[in-house]
Amino acid sequence: MKARLVLLWLAVGFPLLWGTYKTLENALKLFQ
Amino acid sequence: MSSSFLDRQNTVAGPGFDRFMVPPAALAVHLCIGQAYAFSTFNLPLTKLIGLTQSAAGDWNLKDVGWIFSIAIVFLGSSAAVFGRWVERVGPRMSMFVAALCFAGGFLVSAIGIHLHQLWIIYLGYGVLGGCGLGIGYISPVSTLIKWFPDRPGMATGMAIMGFGGGALIAAPLSVILMKHFSTATSNGVLETFVTMGVIYFMFMMIGVISVRVPAEGWKPAGWVPDAHPMKLVTAANVAVDVAWRTPQFWLLWGVLCMNVTAGIGVLGQASPMIQEMFSGKVTAAAAAGFVGLISLFNMIGRFIWASTSDYIGRRNTYMVFFLLGILLYSLVPTFGHMGSTPLFVAAFCVILSMYGGGFATIPAYLRDIFGTLQVGAIHGRLLTAWSVAGVLGPVLVNYIRQYQIDNGVPKAQAYSVTMYIMCGLLLIGFLCNLAMSEVKAKYFYQAGAAAGSKV
Repeated sequence: MKARLVLLWLAVGFPLLWGTYKTLENALKLFQ
Repeated sequence: MSSSFLDRQNTVAGPGFDRFMVPPAALAVHLCIGQAYAFSTFNLPLTKLIGLTQSAAGDWNLKDVGWIFSIAIVFLGSSAAVFGRWVERVGPRMSMFVAALCFAGGFLVSAIGIHLHQLWIIYLGYGVLGGCGLGIGYISPVSTLIKWFPDRPGMATGMAIMGFGGGALIAAPLSVILMKHFSTATSNGVLETFVTMGVIYFMFMMIGVISVRVPAEGWKPAGWVPDAHPMKLVTAANVAVDVAWRTPQFWLLWGVLCMNVTAGIGVLGQASPMIQEMFSGKVTAAAAAGFVGLISLFNMIGRFIWASTSDYIGRRNTYMVFFLLGILLYSLVPTFGHMGSTPLFVAAFCVILSMYGGGFATIPAYLRDIFGTLQVGAIHGRLLTAWSVAGVLGPVLVNYIRQYQIDNGVPKAQAYSVTMYIMCGLLLIGFLCNLAMSEVKAKYFYQAGAAAGSKV
């Protein structure tokens, strides 16, 4: 159960972190 | 996949099930349907399907393409309202599955529309079919999460609805990458991107379909006992959906959501030109795109933070903060513009957009407080019609008032001042609706077999 829980959170967490990173990368242009 | 797998009775969690499996299941759906907020990424490419690098004769114009998103949002609100009771009856697994079929199907039907170059097929595909997927998918995990987390309903629904904000952050760069990847000498890659996204989103939403569980009847978190003295406006009773929407409380909450969304959505849609016009010469188009990304990020973060905070300070107090702080910040925005202070302007809108997202994420828990858990998903579905109205009202107010000001000789940099003060007025109406909120009268409470509550 614990392994499934971690896998499930990774499955949704990874794309969310990637999207956040790409957005922040883009947002940095505002301060350049 | 047999139909029995999708039935509610087959989703009841067994002993030892970890309730923290449910928020990622909900997120798997919301992260996909949140793509809708990033649909504008396709707007320009859809106007260059024939010309490829620029619009050619026979290509669709931007105004007509813009209707795809509007139709989808209208169908989001209407399908959530119409199918809310069905979602409650069949449970989250079946409704998530249908949402996945509709949403992914919308992309695939739209791809046929692109192939045949028939815009009406895209209106039907992404707009109608996809819009129904958005509405059903949006409400499908809400009541399940509230039942799993009676101790932290704000945090639980905030987590899922945060996914709707986060979906745009993923979809915007993903769409650009896919279109670039599929671009050839004869295609700008939109068709292939639609097919790919349809398949990816269907598979990803299946993670939610497979993982979601409902708690067994009478289940409570270990060691949790309902508060003997709950916060003000928190009921232990239930109100059925057909009764709830006849109460003044429903319409007060409708006003609260509609005003909060109207104030945020108009700015969200006009953010890029607004910052460029208010800080003419200081903010480039690339920097403005960064501003849009930043406020989208705060829209997402605000959903989790504000909804979680509402578990501690109460739902009404949370909205009081949204409205009072919103009025203060909107009234200061023109001053920040006159001062030429980009950092203050950006900071103000980051907070405003966090409260816009927070408004969406806190409303399911507010509904639970007022109407109980019995049909909270269906009631939430009906309340989302406020979003459809705000989706039209917000952009119309911002765009038309700006244009009216410019037509009357007001410099572009100052054309948003009146709009900001109108937003303050809208937030004041929302504040008054929230202030008037009271407990539902006992005559409306659901009692099995009694006349007051309609059948479940």
